[in-house]
Amino acid sequence: MRKRYGEARGWIGAMETEQKKCDSGDLPSLRRIVCEQGLLSRPDGSASWMQGDTSVLAGVYGPSEVKVSKEIYDKATLEVMLRPKVGLPGVYERSREQMIKKTCEAVVLGTLHPRSSITIVLQVITDAGSLLASCLNAACMGLMDAGLPMGSLFCGVTCALDADGNFTLDPTAKQEKEAQTVLTFAIDSIEKKVLMSSMKGTCSVEQLQQCVAASQRAADTIFQFYRDSACRKYSKW
Amino acid sequence: MKETPLSNCEKRFLLKAIEERKRLDGRECYDYRNLRISFGSDYGCCIVELGKTRILGQVSCELVTPKPNRATEGILFFNLELSPMASPAFEPGRQPELLVKLNRLLERCLRNSKCIDTESLCVVAGEKVWQIRVDLHVLNHNGNLIDAASIAAIVALCHFRRPDVSVQGEEVTLYTPEERDPVPLSIHHMPICVSFAFFQQGTFLLVDPSEQEERVMDGLLVIAMNKHREICTIQSSGGIMLLKDQVLRCSKITGVKVAEITALIQKALENDQKVRKEGGKCGFAESVPNQRITAFKIEQAPVDTKDVQEQAEEIIAKAFPPSEVMATPVLWTSGTAQIGEGLENSWGDFEGSEREEEEDEIAQDEPITVEDQNLETGDASVRTRNQKDETIVLSDSEEEDVVILEPEVTNKNRTETSPKQDTISKKTGGKKKKKRATK
Amino acid sequence: MLARAVMADGGACEAQKRIGRVVMPGEALLLPGHAEADGERLRLAANGPQKGRLVCGPGLRRGGEGLLVTKCGLLRYRGPGSGSGGVYWVDSQQRRYVPVKGDHVIGIVTAKAGDIFKVDVGGSEQASLSYLAFEGATKRNRPNVQVGDLIYGQFIIANKDMEPEMVCIDSSGRANGMGVIGQDGFLFKVSLGLIRKLLAPDCEIIQDLGQLYPFELVLGMNGRIWVKAKTIQQTLIVANVLEACEHMTAEQRKQVVAKVLEN
Repeated sequence: MRKRYGEARGWIGAMETEQKKCDSGDLPSLRRIVCEQGLLSRPDGSASWMQGDTSVLAGVYGPSEVKVSKEIYDKATLEVMLRPKVGLPGVYERSREQMIKKTCEAVVLGTLHPRSSITIVLQVITDAGSLLASCLNAACMGLMDAGLPMGSLFCGVTCALDADGNFTLDPTAKQEKEAQTVLTFAIDSIEKKVLMSSMKGTCSVEQLQQCVAASQRAADTIFQFYRDSACRKYSKW
Repeated sequence: MKETPLSNCEKRFLLKAIEERKRLDGRECYDYRNLRISFGSDYGCCIVELGKTRILGQVSCELVTPKPNRATEGILFFNLELSPMASPAFEPGRQPELLVKLNRLLERCLRNSKCIDTESLCVVAGEKVWQIRVDLHVLNHNGNLIDAASIAAIVALCHFRRPDVSVQGEEVTLYTPEERDPVPLSIHHMPICVSFAFFQQGTFLLVDPSEQEERVMDGLLVIAMNKHREICTIQSSGGIMLLKDQVLRCSKITGVKVAEITALIQKALENDQKVRKEGGKCGFAESVPNQRITAFKIEQAPVDTKDVQEQAEEIIAKAFPPSEVMATPVLWTSGTAQIGEGLENSWGDFEGSEREEEEDEIAQDEPITVEDQNLETGDASVRTRNQKDETIVLSDSEEEDVVILEPEVTNKNRTETSPKQDTISKKTGGKKKKKRATK
Repeated sequence: MLARAVMADGGACEAQKRIGRVVMPGEALLLPGHAEADGERLRLAANGPQKGRLVCGPGLRRGGEGLLVTKCGLLRYRGPGSGSGGVYWVDSQQRRYVPVKGDHVIGIVTAKAGDIFKVDVGGSEQASLSYLAFEGATKRNRPNVQVGDLIYGQFIIANKDMEPEMVCIDSSGRANGMGVIGQDGFLFKVSLGLIRKLLAPDCEIIQDLGQLYPFELVLGMNGRIWVKAKTIQQTLIVANVLEACEHMTAEQRKQVVAKVLEN
């Protein structure tokens, strides 16, 4: 398991203020989602995504000028940079960058802008669980705000399985720590197909399928959120 | 990526406007942009917005061994990062001059002014002290990074709480936040930088220059001061010659600005403290303005996952079970083994027939299994195979000749094995291949 | 829940019904022409083979049975006119410009290289501009263009596989308003959506601003606006009001203009 910032990179005075209410029966739920688009003036597109206390800021540039060494003659060069809050990006960030990059490449229509670059910079602002999913969601909102052509939308959902096999959607940092398995899926908006999956721990095939199905349900809520926030953004247009 | 170049027309307009004491955003010469401070849910985390310039600050701490020459002092470390998010001109992995300059100025402003009591960070003299690390990330660059960075750094330091420790004899105990409340750092004073941009060789002066103004300025004067009007750092760059009373005037303005900013910081810190004490909601999500059209919120959303289990079962039931693969390793010689069938070669006809030849040979010397491994036979097979290998290597090296030569060889082979097929000539190869495919 | 799922899905919806609404990338739009009965009716109405084809504009692609949305924004439609069978496009608040043939843009000259100028237009590549592409320019009579000058021109080559090329003359060799923009005035940037709004015929924003005082205005499709009024103060006011129009309703804007008029 990856060490949390507190252990690996010095202690951040974390407040475990977050506690999920379970007033809606025993249904697993997503934490509160807050998103603001176009909040940065310099990038072509930006979005700040918060689910629960987890918060990620995305800045997107593109299609812009590309370095000759990175130029691809028939499509855009897509780059993802994930920046940790403390210290410099390490192996953990690099591997996450790759996962996010592959997911974005699957939906962004890069062939429409050959010999250009699309850069997505993600800044972790608070990590309070389900970080990878939040990064994916922030990236998608950022791409949407930048107006880059996409074949579909995507979102990230994290599930955690405890020792008894009960699953939790959108776990907090504490829940992630206690969980036996943590799974993150990227899901596309057209057929709800799994674009990327990442897993930590072990689980049975049946549990995996359950998590996929639950994530697909949760994706509906997130896609509806995307739509509602776009509607709000364009309401005065 | 390159930054959009500044056109002559913009340059001229900016300078003309400055001469007329007008600024693009409607400010007066000595006006600061709006300052907004918001805190994260973690201690020591804040975002400072100075107009459109935005900086994220985070403080963290770690127990380390102190520097040998300062055995009783904690360590303060500053790291300002120019994220490529902030401006297209900032490239990852590069250390532009600006970054070095900003980091140095920050260190001088905050570390050398001794605003933090480093001795209070000592746990065991010469063995364990706290290292306080301040990370600052520029999220959006719209001018005057240094002022925003110095504010973000001091706000984050004031907001930070480190875990409590106790020393009993040799033993150092670290308490989690649940066991004992974390303790704030002891801060003597709050130094804050204020920047002045000079135009036309120092004739005109602007406080808190924006990015566009920075691009046309001649020189910059940065004064760091605390609310007791003590100057902590002063730096002039750009090579303009300033008069004594200009510097004095600037330091007077700094005093006023620092007093205002300090009051704002204190108010923001108190507010956050109050919210936390009352157990209210804190964090960045709270500071997103609700009425903003580009922002949207939904409360905790339950997801209907009742029939998820059935769905999963259905998928599994429908899925084909993976075909059983029997792994039968074959040991050809000592030291080499084969698992699986290997891939069929789909090259030309002669190659197919060559393969056949190979197969014939293989059939002759039977594969040796582990049980009846005999040293002598093992050696023999190695020899035969070596010979075979050699021939292949040779024929491979004579590229074109091989093509002509090989059919002859195979023909010979064929005549030996099946004289009947010889009459059918060319087509045999194809047929044979088909046969092999069906095998 | 079910209704919501369909919504989020975007599940193929008739294009007609979504005009003026927000569409999301990945949404499929069905075109009426595809239905057998509709096709019949159209043909009868047009009395013979239908003239012109339906154009699929920015933010849309052909896919499957109809159109596939690739950008987030409002779906717009212009009915069939002479020679065209109607246009669908997505109106978005994008900031980054992608060169399009025929667009009029404001560029900044970044370099002079032999016979051509390199011009920054805000796209992924710098555009080239020949020194002969100005009104009245000959090999001897070169236009006076300096690095850093502003150019108002038009794209004659703009496609994804080639370097974009600009000219400052129309097809008959006339400047037609194009060329180097004067040395005064101020340049600033807004979203591409706002520019399109401002360039629409009878744009209310421009009319409202016109009540204030006389000023010169150049709008580039690449999101750049050049403005010049009598004084610096007036120029700044126009620039600030235009910038603020990004997220203002018509009423809010009228209030702002009224306030400026009072002062």
